[in-house]
Amino acid sequence: MAERKRSKRFEVLEARPVHKDGFIAEWPEVGLVAIDSPNDPVPSIKIENGKVVEMDGKRREEFDMIDQFIADYAIDLSVAEEAMAKSELELAKMLVDVNCPAEEVRRIFGGLTPAKLTAVMKHLNIVEIMMAMQKMRVRKTPKNQAHVTSATDNPVLLACDAAEAALRGFVEIETTVAVNRYAPLNALSLLIGGQVGRPGVMSQDALEESFELKIGMRGLTAYAETVSVYGTERVFLDGDDTPWSKAFLASCYASRGMKMRFTSGTGSEVQMGAAEGKSMLYLEARCILVTKGAGVQGLQNGSISCIGVPGAVPDGLRVVAAENLLTMACGLEVASGNDQTFSHSDLRRCARTIPQLFPGTDLIFSGYSAVPNYDNMFAGSNWDIEDVDDYLAIQRDFKVDGGLRPVTEEEVIAVRNKAARALQAVYEELGFPPITDEEVEIATYAHGSKDMPPRNVAEDLKAADRLLNEGITAVDIVKALAKRGFRDVAEAILMMMKQRISGDYLQTSAWIDENGYVWSAVNDPNDYMGPGTGYRLSQERWEEIKNIPWAIKPEDV
Amino acid sequence: MAKEINEQLLAEVVRKVLQETLSGKSESALPPKPSSGVRVSPQDYPLLFKKPEILRTPTGKRIDEVTLENVLNGKVAFEDLRITPEALEYQAQIAEACGKPQLALNLRRAAELTKIPDERLLEIYNALRPYRSSKEELLSIADELENKYGAKINAAFIREAAEVYEKRRILKGMRPFEL
Repeated sequence: MAERKRSKRFEVLEARPVHKDGFIAEWPEVGLVAIDSPNDPVPSIKIENGKVVEMDGKRREEFDMIDQFIADYAIDLSVAEEAMAKSELELAKMLVDVNCPAEEVRRIFGGLTPAKLTAVMKHLNIVEIMMAMQKMRVRKTPKNQAHVTSATDNPVLLACDAAEAALRGFVEIETTVAVNRYAPLNALSLLIGGQVGRPGVMSQDALEESFELKIGMRGLTAYAETVSVYGTERVFLDGDDTPWSKAFLASCYASRGMKMRFTSGTGSEVQMGAAEGKSMLYLEARCILVTKGAGVQGLQNGSISCIGVPGAVPDGLRVVAAENLLTMACGLEVASGNDQTFSHSDLRRCARTIPQLFPGTDLIFSGYSAVPNYDNMFAGSNWDIEDVDDYLAIQRDFKVDGGLRPVTEEEVIAVRNKAARALQAVYEELGFPPITDEEVEIATYAHGSKDMPPRNVAEDLKAADRLLNEGITAVDIVKALAKRGFRDVAEAILMMMKQRISGDYLQTSAWIDENGYVWSAVNDPNDYMGPGTGYRLSQERWEEIKNIPWAIKPEDV
Repeated sequence: MAKEINEQLLAEVVRKVLQETLSGKSESALPPKPSSGVRVSPQDYPLLFKKPEILRTPTGKRIDEVTLENVLNGKVAFEDLRITPEALEYQAQIAEACGKPQLALNLRRAAELTKIPDERLLEIYNALRPYRSSKEELLSIADELENKYGAKINAAFIREAAEVYEKRRILKGMRPFEL
């Protein structure tokens, strides 16, 4: 049989990167639907004697553990009947109306059930979602978070990349591991590197829940984020937790003076095979309310590691932005995703980020890969360090604050070198496998782990075990740094420990500036009510964003 | 002389009444009251810069004593660099004033947990995970929290969890309810 004659045009199109992406039609029975599944419940609430006796069409006797937790802890019963009586269209308009203050929106939204919250999002197009985000984000000033990881868990390189990420303006840096047992050493590299880059940067080590808490208790990390919650009972249990265990864990963190947020995201329940035929956004609305009910200050969402799922169905990326918006409307800090590779298409990658970047969120990425993609141990981020000049150009093109600042090669080399030397000194003081001067030199000028000579992994892992088993704390690191002449870095780590005494950064959407001053929704609340209000670039910040080093200036011509 | 005593008595009564009025809620609703009786508001935030005088380390040191010098000479140790129930209560008050009752409750649960050793805390968290504990084990943890640490809110929270876990069949040895 003769081959079908092909159009050259279509052959060209099929060779484009976007054709490597997965696209799938809606399939509601398994939950492959972004919003508006026929199986989503109809919004409802009934309150008797101060208790919710019916929610979203389910009677209290039929509640699963998530329903019960939301009904008893998340929903403000004093406003629920008033709020649920409003039409979804009216509620959607409140989100966008510049004359309706964010506090009033939050007061009303505090009384909404998961099904109602989901239904409101059907009425907003993507531009309206962005307008609403600009108003509803809890902290006025947007910021950003980075991933700092290494394919070989190279400790020197991690310290250098942490320092560079901090210098570039990221207020949070997150690591994880290639090899699990390296985890304590990765935390140490980020702690030291981060404080060299900019005092006040907060670091975290994304691992199993109780390990994260343990290492945080030692002062080797400042906060935690990968504390996952899910929208169906089955998946929540598969995640080896309950709303009660997770809420207790949240209190454990606070009891040690540590910041934390939960993580959830559309698509996780489908990916784990138990979405109960519900839409992704409805299940995510349940996660958001579990987080609120647990009294956790914030949430990392925006599909996160499941972005391939909403990214494949119609309306998926609008709904990902909608889940960020619902988080804000519920008064929570949002670290808004953009953190995992989901597309081969550079155009789709960029478009996916615009709904968070242009209006601004508390942390636009969670996070942006501050290392090359091959070193990203979170399975790659949507943007990486090789895209950073594009990002700086976009900030400048649109006069938008994406949380990053242009840096010079000299500055970057200087902080990388200092971070490597500080880590070298601490390793020597602790009797860990030596970091050679050659490694310091290579890491200072390196791009990624491919540039680094191999380390003795077995010896490093022994040191990692020692760090854990000997109860080494941030105070030991402070002492080692001071002894070896890195007094300023020692002071910075001590300042981070001091934050635990006041607990200021336990408030919603907190970050710490270079003087140790905490900014959050308490003292930097978003007051957007149309043009002339809310976050505006200061002259100083605009000058910084404008001045990308490679732009031609009149005096150069 | 008699007059002086009366004045002292009066002052004491006024202080007490004031404390109770300011704390706003009844004893049962309010978790461990800060022993200082200090009330804070969002204007006092961040406390580290605006109200350092009310902050103490768990060993009673002032914030201005937490210096690199004192860390190096051993006067300040790792044990000092922890939050106190009082500081968590201050932050709970700020959260409440910002319209965040759930966050305030979390911080008050946390205030109760400050006294529990790290290892025990991790054990309790793991015991709360699904299929780990019998109802009796959970109830005994609740009793321990209440009787040994005075952690009333957490004890009630764990008793509630025990009920839910029984109803949803996620206690130790139970099968997942839909299988």
